[in-house]
Amino acid sequence: MEREEQKGKRVEDISILIGGKAGDGVLFTGNILARLLKRYGWWSVTYRDFPSNIRGEGTQYVVRAALKRIENRREGVDILLAFDCEAIKKLAPRLNEGALILCDSADDAALKALESPKVASVAFPLRQPAREKFGQELYKNMMAIGALSYLLGLEISPVEALIKDLFLQRKGQNVVELNLKAIDFGFELGQKLIPADRRWFLPRSNDDDRVILMGDEAIALGALAGGCRFFAAYPICPASEIWQWLAPRIREFGGVVLQVEDELAALNMAIGAAFAGARAMTSTSGPGASLMMEAFSLAGMTEVPVVIAHVQRVGPSTGLPTKTQQGDLLQWVFGSHGEFPRIVLAPGKVEECFSFTVEAFNLAEKFQGPVVILIDLDLGQNLRTAPFPLAETWAIDRGKLLSAQELAGHLPYKRYLITEDGISPRVIPGTPGGIHLAESVEHDETGLRSEDPRVREKMMEKRMRKLSSIYPELPSPRIYGQPEAQTAIIGVGSTRGPILEAINLLEKEIKIKFLQIRTLWPFPSREVSEFLKGVQKLVVVENNFTGQLLTLLRSQINFDPEMKVESLRKYSPDNFTPEEIYRSLKEICL
Amino acid sequence: MPVARSKDIFSRQKPTWCPGCGLYGLLDAMKRAAFSLELDPASIVIVTGIGCHGRFPNYFLSYGFHGLHGRVVPVASGIKIVNPGLKVIGVSGDGDAYSIGLNHLLQAARRNIGLLIIVVNNRVFALTQGQASPTSPRGFISISTPFGTVEPPLDGLKVALGAGATFIARGFSGEVDHLAFLLKSGLKHQGFALIDVLSPCVTYNKINTYDWYRNHIEILSQEDSFPADLSLAWSWLNREDKFVLGVLYARPEKTLEELVLPDREKSIAELELKPEVEKVRLLMEKFK
Repeated sequence: MEREEQKGKRVEDISILIGGKAGDGVLFTGNILARLLKRYGWWSVTYRDFPSNIRGEGTQYVVRAALKRIENRREGVDILLAFDCEAIKKLAPRLNEGALILCDSADDAALKALESPKVASVAFPLRQPAREKFGQELYKNMMAIGALSYLLGLEISPVEALIKDLFLQRKGQNVVELNLKAIDFGFELGQKLIPADRRWFLPRSNDDDRVILMGDEAIALGALAGGCRFFAAYPICPASEIWQWLAPRIREFGGVVLQVEDELAALNMAIGAAFAGARAMTSTSGPGASLMMEAFSLAGMTEVPVVIAHVQRVGPSTGLPTKTQQGDLLQWVFGSHGEFPRIVLAPGKVEECFSFTVEAFNLAEKFQGPVVILIDLDLGQNLRTAPFPLAETWAIDRGKLLSAQELAGHLPYKRYLITEDGISPRVIPGTPGGIHLAESVEHDETGLRSEDPRVREKMMEKRMRKLSSIYPELPSPRIYGQPEAQTAIIGVGSTRGPILEAINLLEKEIKIKFLQIRTLWPFPSREVSEFLKGVQKLVVVENNFTGQLLTLLRSQINFDPEMKVESLRKYSPDNFTPEEIYRSLKEICL
Repeated sequence: MPVARSKDIFSRQKPTWCPGCGLYGLLDAMKRAAFSLELDPASIVIVTGIGCHGRFPNYFLSYGFHGLHGRVVPVASGIKIVNPGLKVIGVSGDGDAYSIGLNHLLQAARRNIGLLIIVVNNRVFALTQGQASPTSPRGFISISTPFGTVEPPLDGLKVALGAGATFIARGFSGEVDHLAFLLKSGLKHQGFALIDVLSPCVTYNKINTYDWYRNHIEILSQEDSFPADLSLAWSWLNREDKFVLGVLYARPEKTLEELVLPDREKSIAELELKPEVEKVRLLMEKFK
């Protein structure tokens, strides 16, 4: 295949929407395109809009790529590749001026209906030629990649290399060649069918060894790096990717993944494993998190270091399992029965999904209690390009875990010894001389149950004191924008990307700064109060109905009564776009 | 290992159960079984749920985990998987194991994980002051069932057998020698073992008393080999006049630990954790 001389519209930021029905391979095609663009040196990200359905319903996947770092989609679409025309009718309003539609349909009438001065459409047969030429419809996806390569003026070598990396080891040379042929064929069809003046030209750039992955995958890899060797979970969208990624890989690290009967079992098993000395974890979402609330409290009381990843989806109840939301922020901060110390970490980008998970295991063992990694579907399941997030090395710090030899200096052993920092030396079952009872009933220093009011007070104070001890080691908030600005935004998790982009759009109009909360509990009150000094207008951005982040802020911080507080909430089943935040901020601030 | 002079090496505190409670018999039988198997208290973990049985580890000296109501089996499973060298024993009750925690019990039976689960079956919720339990006899009058229960009682051994349990046994806390024999057999079994222990509640169950049980049990004469015969087990379980006591079914089968653990020599709990930078780097490379 020859690439002709590159010409076309030069852009630095492009959005491609792939639409079709569930089962069409929309996700597969989008993932390949996103990876391809990453290797091409562009920062690419994806955004999924799927039904909770395996086949038949309309499904859409956005791939956006830019020469500068981006972390989220935008509203407009430059190219719409549709495996069926139904998708087009729904998606037409999102097309940018000059957009191009490629539609695999004989139904030209539907295409005609869309003709407008600002948009061009091309009937682009995929299914039928795929069947005829390759015997299987699924080759339409690779043909689409070929057509898009032509349309975007991509060089061929990264495409070939990517296909080899994807298929050579698992499926062999034949499959690689068939796929490359399908790509070539799609490319040639593109040459024939796509008007030359409708093409784009994406200049190749250096990808600096960057990676592209989902937050869920980053959490799973962080778990391996952090020493997780026991993982139990129950299937649930959108958290299953974490353990499904771990399942085939953890053995090589000497660990095990179990699929268990429900989330009650998942967390209780992880607690058992952690009590017995493993670094243990579970993951969940939605209703599964509610089931885990019971054992969350158990981990707090028995002081067992366990890690829970929660990927939020739309609630309440079953809600919308394949859509994003931040409706469970307060569940982990204040949830479950009784009061106990817990740590809730909130990564906002894939690198943080990785590094916070590594650190979660250290924090859990150092403070001896449950650590939650709370993200949402947008961060968990969409692909994002990130700098290779591996340091030279990282620490595994097991806190006050005593070996059999070290135990000698702590006899007679008391599991819940009252200490200045609240953290008691821990031994694991099997250690001679360390026999003790981990007790969910209120207990004394030895672990034996006690209803003595004085003991209860002392033990409650001991447990809660651990939070102040661990506080300095928690990820502190990150501040962006102009430090002296009097207008401020606070957000958490995946709203980070659209907020940062909106701030960039606004830069010339309004002086503004942004604080990304990275630990929800214990709440970083000192840092947030400092950030809010001199702020006249605060906008709290979050993906839920009731304003949970703002509620948390109000409960932990004394707001200056002069400060104007706005709550920017979105509870439709999508993350914010930067444009939405931009428009709202303009309305609020100008 | 401490020098084992008597079963009292397993004593921690003096029990405070109601005088006459069936749990005393179980405690004594457990000490005898552990002593005769020469177990080291530091190599045993007792996991309990909520109910009068929950205090078992307060009186039996070993590592212990007193967890939530109904969650004995998953906690015990987590411990066993990461350290199969430990003897992990779950002590549960009829409410704990057959009501709120039944699914966990069946799934563990299906998985054949190497746990000994003892259900202290007093056929009543005693710690919460006497409500009917899933094993209460039909017509049982209690504070929660003033007109008598209408449901038939559940036999945990039947459902466990149906779920694929590889060892089921029934004992009576009034027959301590026999119970100690069952416990020893259960502790020696590789894989999941469930022992249902008929255990009088002297405070809240005035029907199933020691005397009542003595007239309603039949003890199998068994030594060290047990039948792996489903129809025989089923016929014993279906006896209407008597509870048949003994090991009702046992068969060798690969355990979950044997099947899923990557390293049979070194347990997960004993792994020396290090960052594994190179392995992680290789995995990260795949995302390029």
